[in-house]
Amino acid sequence: MINYLIAILTFVLIYAILALGLNVQWGYTGLVNLGHVGFFAVGAYTSALLAKLGLPFFFSLAAAILLAAFFGSLLALTTLRLKEDFLAIVTLGFSEILRLFLLNEDWLTGGANGIIAIPRPLWNHFTKHYDLFYLALLVAVLILLFLFLERLRSSPYGRMLRAIREDEIVAATAGKNVFRSKVQAFTLGAALAGLAGVFYAHYLSYIAPEMFIPLVSINVWVALIAGGSGNNKGAILGAFVLMGFLEGTRFLKDFIPFLTGFRLAAVREILVGLFLILLMIYRQEGVLPEEKILS
Amino acid sequence: MADQYLQYILNGIISGGMLALPAVAFSLLYGILRFPNFAIGTYITAGGFIAYAANVTLKLPIPIAFVIAMLLCGFLGVGVDQLAFRPMRQRRPLTLAIVSIGVSFILENIARFIWGNELKSYNLPVLRGMEFGGLRIGKEQLVILFVSLVFMVLVQFLLKFTRLGKAMRAVSDNAMLASVKGIDSEGIILRTSFLGAALTGAAGVMVGIDTSIDPLMGSKLILSIFAAAILGGIGSATTAVGGAFFVGLAEEISTIWLPATYKSAIGFAMIVLILLFRPAGLFRRTRVI
Repeated sequence: MINYLIAILTFVLIYAILALGLNVQWGYTGLVNLGHVGFFAVGAYTSALLAKLGLPFFFSLAAAILLAAFFGSLLALTTLRLKEDFLAIVTLGFSEILRLFLLNEDWLTGGANGIIAIPRPLWNHFTKHYDLFYLALLVAVLILLFLFLERLRSSPYGRMLRAIREDEIVAATAGKNVFRSKVQAFTLGAALAGLAGVFYAHYLSYIAPEMFIPLVSINVWVALIAGGSGNNKGAILGAFVLMGFLEGTRFLKDFIPFLTGFRLAAVREILVGLFLILLMIYRQEGVLPEEKILS
Repeated sequence: MADQYLQYILNGIISGGMLALPAVAFSLLYGILRFPNFAIGTYITAGGFIAYAANVTLKLPIPIAFVIAMLLCGFLGVGVDQLAFRPMRQRRPLTLAIVSIGVSFILENIARFIWGNELKSYNLPVLRGMEFGGLRIGKEQLVILFVSLVFMVLVQFLLKFTRLGKAMRAVSDNAMLASVKGIDSEGIILRTSFLGAALTGAAGVMVGIDTSIDPLMGSKLILSIFAAAILGGIGSATTAVGGAFFVGLAEEISTIWLPATYKSAIGFAMIVLILLFRPAGLFRRTRVI
């Protein structure tokens, strides 16, 4: 039971990092990104591959974040001038093409088999309570991230991002470099998704393309919108709500006899889709709406 | 060698024919409702599976299964519009696009729940393929192309010459002016939803005949459909057909150099390039506001 709780909490925290990243893009700046899972995958694969080469964890972590940020800025530079509904298509397309790449380039990514035996950081020092150590590490990372992002939010820079979200013409008229700021916000969000990917890969010590499907991006959207977009506490709370929801539906099979295997998976995805639609229709501000900052 | 290239071109025309109806549907819906509808992909899946149920489970011949699939898909499109999109008519396009993704998750998984993940195929008489001077084409493929062309012509006729078509174009051009002139926009939305989903469902049966039926068959095509519609100039049902053949040809010809699995990457690359450099589509100049 305690091991189950630790595992669930680990996934919640990884989703919380993903949701914080999306919050910088969507919550702060109003940039749509339906391909969040793509940057998550870049982080996971980069760190896993470098760690397999024997590089130390902190090096592979840094490289993974940088590469995810690079992909983020590349996508942002080429496409952020598009209308947002087309940006939705392009970002979703990006993550799907990336998944095709991971699936087909066996020489680099192991293809459908993925990468196994990814080394776990500091494994030798904590063999007994390793999962607990890993969770503590994630908590520390999340606290640091939270403090940094809260600082960012209340800074003049954060205020500028919100201004861009509300009305970019006004922001531009006030002398802000709208395009550059959007690219920066998108890049930061992608870097955070990459960071989440690193922790995901080294926790499972196995990754494969089937883990990086669009459903993951949708899950992060559900988490952020349910928790409250624009609000960092909301993003973290949303990750708990989402995981509670996903894990809760696992127990459906105890009540409904024919619900096994692919049927159970299908029902869970139907519920995620339904949850997303209901949130969009009835409660777009989430549980914890954005806090007003007077400044 | 030259024959080999002709074969790729022929394949491209056939896949263009299958992309054309969903691309037209996407454009019609975009014209009226002003958001990219991701649920289009699952109408393909729905069409494929409804015809499967009619053809294999109920043992009906494929032309009847085809008609049933079109009609039921049409009603499905209306139902989706009324339940998911109607409460949100005044919201911004992005919100509706996200809702349509939610819809496609739900529908795709309903198909998975009922029929599972395995590839399925229709109960069809096995026809021998034909050969013309080294070019191979299946008889089914010829029928598919023909039926698809007939529907393209019918849609053009509907848009150009009927009251409904004129009203659709009016709402698409300027919804405000259309409603001032007394056009019932909700009624037009209902009919367009029906038509769009029915046309896409028809394409789903064609894809199922040409390849196979599985819950992901629609979402695999969604990038190509978007590419076709965007290439044609978003919101224009006529030029979407041209976009569809262009994408179909480009994807098939790309398989000369690239593994076939990267086909949808070609569609994606075209989306990005066209949106960046010719946002009004391949066949029109950019309108300067």
